[in-house]
Amino acid sequence: MSSTRDFFQPAIRRAWIRQLLGPLDETKWNALASELFAWQFSRIPSYRRLCVAHEVTPKRITSWRDIPAGPQQLFKREKLFTHLSARPAAIYETSGTTTGQPGRQYLLSTDIYRAVSMEGAKRAGLFDQDPQLHFLTPAPQEAPHSSLSAMFGFWLEATEQKKELKFWMRKDRFDFVGLRQTLEKQMKTRRPIAICGTAFSFVHLLDAWADLPPLRLPRGSWLLETGGFKGRSREITKAELYRQLAHAFSLHNNAIWNEYGMSELSSQAYARGITGLHHPPPWARVLIVNPATGREVRVGQQGLIRWLDLANIDSVFALQTLDLAKRIPQGFRLIGRLPRTEPRGCSLGVEDLTPQRIE
Amino acid sequence: MTTRQRLDLLARAYPRLFPRTELLRLLRTQLGHVDALDQWTSRDGTRVRARAPKLIYHICSGNLAVSAWTSLAHGLLLGAHNVVKLPSDRNDGTVRGEILGFIRGLPTPLRKLVETHRTIDLDLLRRAEAVIAFGSDATMESLRPQIRWNQKFIAHGHAVSLLWIPEPDRLTSSQARACAIDILTYDQLGCLSPQAIYLPPGTHLDSLGKKLALTLETHWRQSKIKPARLLAVAARITETRDMAHALGQRVWLPPGKHLGWTLIHDPDPTFQPSPLHGVIYLRQASTAKLRLALASVAGRISTIGIAGKSSSPWEKVFLSLGASRFCAAGHMQFPPLTWQHDGRPSLGDLVDRIDSENVA
Repeated sequence: MSSTRDFFQPAIRRAWIRQLLGPLDETKWNALASELFAWQFSRIPSYRRLCVAHEVTPKRITSWRDIPAGPQQLFKREKLFTHLSARPAAIYETSGTTTGQPGRQYLLSTDIYRAVSMEGAKRAGLFDQDPQLHFLTPAPQEAPHSSLSAMFGFWLEATEQKKELKFWMRKDRFDFVGLRQTLEKQMKTRRPIAICGTAFSFVHLLDAWADLPPLRLPRGSWLLETGGFKGRSREITKAELYRQLAHAFSLHNNAIWNEYGMSELSSQAYARGITGLHHPPPWARVLIVNPATGREVRVGQQGLIRWLDLANIDSVFALQTLDLAKRIPQGFRLIGRLPRTEPRGCSLGVEDLTPQRIE
Repeated sequence: MTTRQRLDLLARAYPRLFPRTELLRLLRTQLGHVDALDQWTSRDGTRVRARAPKLIYHICSGNLAVSAWTSLAHGLLLGAHNVVKLPSDRNDGTVRGEILGFIRGLPTPLRKLVETHRTIDLDLLRRAEAVIAFGSDATMESLRPQIRWNQKFIAHGHAVSLLWIPEPDRLTSSQARACAIDILTYDQLGCLSPQAIYLPPGTHLDSLGKKLALTLETHWRQSKIKPARLLAVAARITETRDMAHALGQRVWLPPGKHLGWTLIHDPDPTFQPSPLHGVIYLRQASTAKLRLALASVAGRISTIGIAGKSSSPWEKVFLSLGASRFCAAGHMQFPPLTWQHDGRPSLGDLVDRIDSENVA
């Protein structure tokens, strides 16, 4: 199938969003995936070379499952942008903590990211009780290359909450005193409260409030953590983090969500509680693949997460991660990042060669 | 027990790994005399002998057992008590098993000289007269503060090895085979394993690639024990292949795309570590550009394996970058026992010398 749409046109992008957010059965999904594959195959030379090496071209494709996935690493080496001559409206960067080189996601417009990141959270049920939102990140204006800050900004806009006193990280410093004072006031209104941030930001919060009594957040409140620690705080296990957070905010651990997303993608998967399964939204699909064969593993087996995100129209929508997960009939259970290196002992590796950069 | 008795026991237990003649040569070259530990010998008219440390602490890395075996053999030859800190639990246990198997295979009198630990015993570490450590630079740095000022600390941190083909268009089949042996032995996991093949510019890459691919496949097929490709390893290999394809690099893959070996031509001569496990890069650089291409690993280059005739200008560059060993391709992974690891006499460094001058 060849590409018919020009995703440069705002009207076409709006139509695409409508299709993604509308009903999507297998046939429709396959058709949209094939179309997007053809578009990206034709527009991104490095992705095209990868597909040709796998002997997959738009003409030969029969199922979305056969679409080759670009390695996450490629976002660090190449500009994967389907509108090369255009000026991107946003460039989101990965942390680059492993090799010191960030991966970059170029968006022609934030329209689709805005729509799907909001809709995905809404469908996961995050906004069911109209919570008062707080973010342990910098505001989007302060961190224009952070896809997470951008998403939180979209959430605020969509829920018509003011941006003031919502982003509790300013100039690389957390204002946990201000956050606590605000929470204490808001708790009196009994309206649910939601606090969202990276795992490491919550560890800093726990450390800052270690000597303070737990807060009793109103019923319906929740926390959302995402990402890892990446050398930015002490590391604790997920179970321990959830236990301590549940205690600090007087919440059940089911009121703690994990968001699985990345700068290279537009959509997110959410899981609830320590044992919760991750569910991608209908416009994204996840395959748990065996890297040796490139094929999906059987239910119950472990493999690597491969994302296919129909909202990712401006770069590559099929992304091969190095995140380990177990395939479950209803979703997937995230295990974590594949260790960057297995023991190399005296043999020099990339981590030893490149100075690490902590952003 | 004398040195000769210990030597005989070791050589009988592991005749292929530690042949008697090589052990004798090791003692002669590095201690000056086979009996240097047991009696006075003469050197330039002076009576000399050597004193072995009583306690040696060996810290083993998780990538390869052979370095631990050799280190332990040195300690046993010297008659020292040897404490072996095994690779930690985060490793998959294969190497740990191989080290323990080696110790179990020692004859009782030697085995009694060895004890193993899973974690660092700081008390023993401080009491040891010599500490020999293998692993990452970070491991060495973390050990350094634990070392007494008068303790011998022999640290083998990160190193990298390379193959060099001076005349690629004249590479013979046996030289190509030798390259394949170097690349695939120990699944490329040691610091003597080549991570890249350097070539002069203007090489006919098609025919060289085909030749090397053929020998890599033959060697892989003939290997009796094929290393496992666990999920993490498979992921690294496939990611590397996909990246190379996407970047438009030339890639040679095995039939059926099995994960045994991967040959990639990277047009950028700058050294980049390989993910190992049979992944090798071809890089072209003139002697003028080689220094810059290898600048990031200057001082960390262990072995240069040469497939063909060495030439002075190239050798000069490698020497200036700190290479500590040159050998013919096919021998990179099998240094003689007299090899001076990281440029130092591994056995000789462990002993103290005693001179007796003008004594009747």
